[in-house]
Amino acid sequence: MNWMAKTRPGAAGAATGAAPIKPGPAVSVGPSANLRISNGLKEFLWLISDVPHGRVLDLGPVWQSTVSFFVEKGYRVSTEDLLRVWKDFLTAEEEGFRATPVGADTQRVSPAVLADKFLETALQYPERSFHGVLAWDLLDYFDPEVAPRLMERLSLLLHPGGAMLALFHSRPTERFHRYRVVDSQTLELITAPTLAVHSHVFQNREILGLFGEFRSSKTFVGRDQVREGLFLK
Amino acid sequence: MWSKTPEVKPSSESYNQPASAPLVAPAASVPSAPARESAAAPAGGATSKISLGLKINGEFSGNSDLYIDGEVLGKIRLGNARVTIGPNGKVQADIEAREIFVDGTVQGNLKAGERAHFGATSRVTGSVLTPRIGIDDGARLRGKVETVRTSPARESAAPAKEQDSEVLQPVAASVKSE
Repeated sequence: MNWMAKTRPGAAGAATGAAPIKPGPAVSVGPSANLRISNGLKEFLWLISDVPHGRVLDLGPVWQSTVSFFVEKGYRVSTEDLLRVWKDFLTAEEEGFRATPVGADTQRVSPAVLADKFLETALQYPERSFHGVLAWDLLDYFDPEVAPRLMERLSLLLHPGGAMLALFHSRPTERFHRYRVVDSQTLELITAPTLAVHSHVFQNREILGLFGEFRSSKTFVGRDQVREGLFLK
Repeated sequence: MWSKTPEVKPSSESYNQPASAPLVAPAASVPSAPARESAAAPAGGATSKISLGLKINGEFSGNSDLYIDGEVLGKIRLGNARVTIGPNGKVQADIEAREIFVDGTVQGNLKAGERAHFGATSRVTGSVLTPRIGIDDGARLRGKVETVRTSPARESAAPAKEQDSEVLQPVAASVKSE
């Protein structure tokens, strides 16, 4: 997949073989649903559209609508709610720390060391397993020392030419949201119990640093000041 | 070790397809039979039950529907039956069945001949291979979802079965089966 060389279907001289983006299955959402038009998702789908039975990794919770959407397009979907796994990991670490007898040789470990330990059990997939990764806004919730290590692992999991969609808030968020795909350009934001505190507001420079191993990037800023970043490995 | 309770049809009502959680099916592989009809027709007639408090280590095979609310470690191969993991059920096994319903905890690879459904309290680690999948909000899945076409002659087609098994590669699951 070559982003630069890739031309949109229907455009003059468009490359053949790229499957057009279909609207996807109709998902019923309530009138009060918090919907968001996502140019990032649209571009993400376009980028992975020429992989017929590609594999997508969703790093949020599993949703029927998201799984349906990709499965009906022929993709294989893997899900790993990374923030929840991280939280469970931290809870287990904390309990282990508390269970240690007073006076024993205990030392609080740095976030980076914790991240390395975390990655011994999380994101355990073979390298180049996925053609697309949906990271949503989870990087905002990880310690700035942890995020680069996650990105390093995610980069390994991504197939060359693969794409990653990530969202970044421009200011600390008041509500904790989960994301699910409604159609090819719409996301539904589900307000959920806070799983993690918003940790860091990434500046553009930091984002580019995080995705340093990627070939190119594109960002879209929404009215809600959420930046959608699309990164191509 | 585990009692036969033919009168017990655990959760079969609750697994009638809710309107809010449609089953996924690729257009090419949607079976014509409605999901409700399919769920209400157990293959073997009787349902075997592993109740809360029971812990079983071993391999299951046969055609009787199975309801698990206890703990199971091993392997479950009920190709033409329904396996239901109740809310208290803890299973560490690969499961192969016609229908797989999960409300409890499963660590292992799931292969359903017709469909798989994950309830709101389900916790699944492993890959899922099924023609149709239903996921309720709140379900937790750590692994791969792959849909396959339903095979009308899957019971008799042994080579096809072996081929399918090769497709079902574990990704995130770490199953200790004995």
